[in-house]
Amino acid sequence: MELRKTHIYQYHAEHGNVIDFGGFAMPVWYEGIIPEHKAVRETCGIFDTSHMGRVYAEGPEVVKFLDYVDTNDIGALIDGKGVYGVMCKPDGGIVDDLIVYRQSAEKFLVVYNAGNRAKDFAWLQKNTKGFKVKLTDMSDKVGMIAIQGPKAAEVLAKIAATDPNAIERFNIAPIKISGFDCLTARTGYTGEDGFEVFILEDPVTAPAKSLKIWNDLVTVGAEPCGLGARDSLRLEAGLWLYGNDIDETTNPIEAGLKWVVKMKKSSYFNGRKALEGIIEKGVSRTLVGITLTERGIPRHGYEVYDGEKKIGVITSGGVAPILNESIALAYLPPEYKEPGKEVQVKIRTNLVKGKIVKHHPFYDESKYGWKRVKA
Amino acid sequence: MEEGKGMTDEVKVETGLYYTNEHEWAKPSEDIVVIGISDYAQSQLHEIVYVELPKKDAAIAQGEAIGAVESVKAVSDFYSPVTGTVFEVNEALMDSPEKINSDPYGEGWIAKVKPSNWDANVAKLMDAEKYKQHITTLKH
Repeated sequence: MELRKTHIYQYHAEHGNVIDFGGFAMPVWYEGIIPEHKAVRETCGIFDTSHMGRVYAEGPEVVKFLDYVDTNDIGALIDGKGVYGVMCKPDGGIVDDLIVYRQSAEKFLVVYNAGNRAKDFAWLQKNTKGFKVKLTDMSDKVGMIAIQGPKAAEVLAKIAATDPNAIERFNIAPIKISGFDCLTARTGYTGEDGFEVFILEDPVTAPAKSLKIWNDLVTVGAEPCGLGARDSLRLEAGLWLYGNDIDETTNPIEAGLKWVVKMKKSSYFNGRKALEGIIEKGVSRTLVGITLTERGIPRHGYEVYDGEKKIGVITSGGVAPILNESIALAYLPPEYKEPGKEVQVKIRTNLVKGKIVKHHPFYDESKYGWKRVKA
Repeated sequence: MEEGKGMTDEVKVETGLYYTNEHEWAKPSEDIVVIGISDYAQSQLHEIVYVELPKKDAAIAQGEAIGAVESVKAVSDFYSPVTGTVFEVNEALMDSPEKINSDPYGEGWIAKVKPSNWDANVAKLMDAEKYKQHITTLKH
């Protein structure tokens, strides 16, 4: 089967190590995962994220609709503000995680995972029943590039018509970049400061604007980064990966996403009743962070033990290039959630020692990530 | 994996060594056999960050998983190309696993084995010419 090509495919084919990622031809790395990872933590890296789902939701009842499908408080958004949340099934299982941006009272931009594009659009469409709202899939009509790292604002400013520093975290604003109309959001998936740029009116069949912006970003010093660094960066930041750490069999309460479930909303939303029940009863497992205290690399699917007893499974794991440690996320019974608690990870035939650590993020926020004080 | 940047670089196949389908090599040297992974294997894995070495003095069999080589993204089991007893392991790889990337046939060796039936083992391995053909078929 022919792989789907994104807006930036031409660059990947020439410079990257391209793999099949959920049906898309995407680069896993250009120079290497480790240097790309470090570039984002120390300076600035760019990612092609135009494989992601991008949908306009419009209409007089768009707020009511989005408050019905999203667990977070969409009604509380003002123009130009976005919010991270999840969509749940009635049983509380997670359909996907997403960011919803309010452009105006009747127009929102909804951004979700590449691997769920068909499923999410169908899910949203199905849930429009009874609401005066119209959905338009813009994924193939709009390019998307993420610019991430402590120098992201400085790098983007070199090719932007106005200073991107004026955009606050989780806000979105129209800005001309390389002369083209874009929406620029101060969001990302790396833990660092940065932007996600939506390149308007740029069809994937002739993506000249997105390619120009990408090449301009490379010229002004941004490091092109592949999916390998995207994954290692989000893991170090303790950010959830749909399909690994969350899916339709996990709920936001056990996933550590209670903070995006807004029970204070007056209206019903998908999963509300089930999630209220889960909160009242308490969870049977919870997502924890583990760091190994012996050598080895924990990976997705490896089992976690307390002595002889199997207590859970790793959902994401790997090396943390900045921390120089082996880290993992795993669902364990809640009695194991306290930092310092000792566990073992079964790596092939060996039980390797580890301990529970804080994981959102794994790193020290005074040294890495968007909260660090700028020197 | 589609053919990308790293794949088009010339892959080195050293003559005088014997190779497995899974890209391990074995090099007989007097009464021992040195074993490791090929240049093709290291280029596929890229950025090797961890090696699980075989255990010293362990009795191992040809085709048996006796360790692993891991990159940031992937784990690759290391199958012994030879039957015998592990005589020495390359401890330097614990601190510098990247030696496998930079010098897979030299400093990146994984273990030295005292073979118990080398003639039978070598009959199941490929020489450099055959292995070159083998990796050519994989690259397309």
